Amino acid sequence: MDREILRRLELLNQLSLTEQEKESVIAFFSDREKDLETLDAIDTADVERMVHVMPIMTVVREDKVSQIFSREELQAAAPETDEGYWCVPKVME
Amino acid sequence: MRYETVIGLEVHVELATSSKIFCSCSAHSYGAEPNSHVCPACCGMPGMLPVVNKRVVDYGMKAGMMLGCHINRTTTFDKKSYYYPDLPAAYQTTQWFAPVAVNGVVEIETSKGKKNVRIKQIHMEEDAGKLVHDIREDTTHVDFNRTSVPLIEIVSQPDLSSAEEVEAYLERLKTLLRYAKVAECEMAHGTMRCDVNLSVRPEGSNKLGVRAEMKNMNSIEAIKRAIEYETARHIDAIENGTEELRQETRRWDDIKGKSYAMRTKETAGDYRYFPDPNVMPVVIDDEWFDSIKASLPEFPEVKKERYISEYGLGEYDADQLTKSIALCECFEAAYGVCKSAKDAANWMISEVMSILNQKKMTYDMLDLDGKALGELILLVSGGTVGRANAKKILAAMFDDASIEPKAYAEANGYVVSNDTGMIEAVIKAVIAADPKSVADYKSGKEKALMALFGKCMKELKGNCDPQTLRKLLIDSIS
Ligand SMILES: [Zn+2]
Repeated sequence: MDREILRRLELLNQLSLTEQEKESVIAFFSDREKDLETLDAIDTADVERMVHVMPIMTVVREDKVSQIFSREELQAAAPETDEGYWCVPKVME
Repeated sequence: MRYETVIGLEVHVELATSSKIFCSCSAHSYGAEPNSHVCPACCGMPGMLPVVNKRVVDYGMKAGMMLGCHINRTTTFDKKSYYYPDLPAAYQTTQWFAPVAVNGVVEIETSKGKKNVRIKQIHMEEDAGKLVHDIREDTTHVDFNRTSVPLIEIVSQPDLSSAEEVEAYLERLKTLLRYAKVAECEMAHGTMRCDVNLSVRPEGSNKLGVRAEMKNMNSIEAIKRAIEYETARHIDAIENGTEELRQETRRWDDIKGKSYAMRTKETAGDYRYFPDPNVMPVVIDDEWFDSIKASLPEFPEVKKERYISEYGLGEYDADQLTKSIALCECFEAAYGVCKSAKDAANWMISEVMSILNQKKMTYDMLDLDGKALGELILLVSGGTVGRANAKKILAAMFDDASIEPKAYAEANGYVVSNDTGMIEAVIKAVIAADPKSVADYKSGKEKALMALFGKCMKELKGNCDPQTLRKLLIDSIS
């Protein structure tokens, strides 16, 4: 973890960190990198990929349509709506 | 130097489910009010949890099996980070680490012969919403109706090398997925979308050139034009140094016939895929797997062979009918009723398919009740309705699915008359009105008989067995 990687992560996550925060994030991730190096030392060639930490699987639902919420309810807290649309700052193509 | 084009495709197909992939909002919003098919889950409201639609997994598996893939019996969903207002959660729920299907193969046929195209993977994911930019100057309008509509993305290996092969590959995908009834695959409706990854290298080289990803082609024709344009642009850049090629995403403008750089291609790392903690792994047990396997349709080639060996159809007829599952189903239902494969095939190819062509409809758009067609065929072969009138009934059946051929024939006076007295009266009147044709026929002009025959048939409104009419006519003249 260095300043350049952090700059990139800030950009990707749309974050803007203070100098102090930058220092602590770099320190934190550098430690985690060391943890990963420790784990890397273990030979896992014969170990099947773990899909989930718990032996658990999803439930699925039947393909049935229902419309529980109205548009008005969903848009009640929106800063701005217009003709049934949510309005967001202009995005340029 | 000679060059070869290396093409891989990413094809998005909208699955034909009723509801969305992770919530029970309707997946069909064509013509609907904006944001009328939305809920807190597909609007990305905090705290909402996705629940997987079983049919999406059914169809994902089915598509995988149709394309010769290995099915991952434990398949998982992942988050793909993506900041754009058409996805309100700021990530797309998709599959990255264990997609539903991997390592498939599709055989295509072009003018150069047969070729295998390898499928890297098929993953299930949610679609994005729609942004409208031109309602107002100061804001972008967002409609989440399409958000979370289920898609599969079919990723091919870079095994294609020409626009012709790409077309054959897309047609093949369309045919197979429609046979399995998992998707409509209509580019004009947006239910099939295709991104093209293309690079150019000297022929025989095994090093890939700089890759461009092209988006925004809305038809197979546009895809072919884009491939030709892009190939020429790459060769020009390599040979003449007209520009420096970069790995990038380009937008195809079909009106101008040019592609434009959109943005430098994000690398996989930039999407920061990570397992979605909100969706547990989907585990496909033997029972589920076997039930999907058992529901697979007969493949087009197998059907064609069966039509030839079992129904005694010719190669051409069998080939025409198996072009689309809609044609096959109509034909098989008609055959089930009329019991003559030859008659059913004949009506399908010379009448039904030509009406579709006239109406500029694709074969897949056929929505005709095959059983009713079978009944119509029986009315003709049994001598109850003349062929010309039967065609009129068929045309009416295209416009109104509720028409029953027999009742319609009776109501519209299309039933052949067996009343010889009435037929003879018509013949008598026609002969009396046209003594010249009678004289011509008597002096050996066969054509004159046809003229009289035509007049009688017209008088009888086609409702007469042609053999009977001909016999009675000749008897009356001589
Ligand atoms: Zn929803």
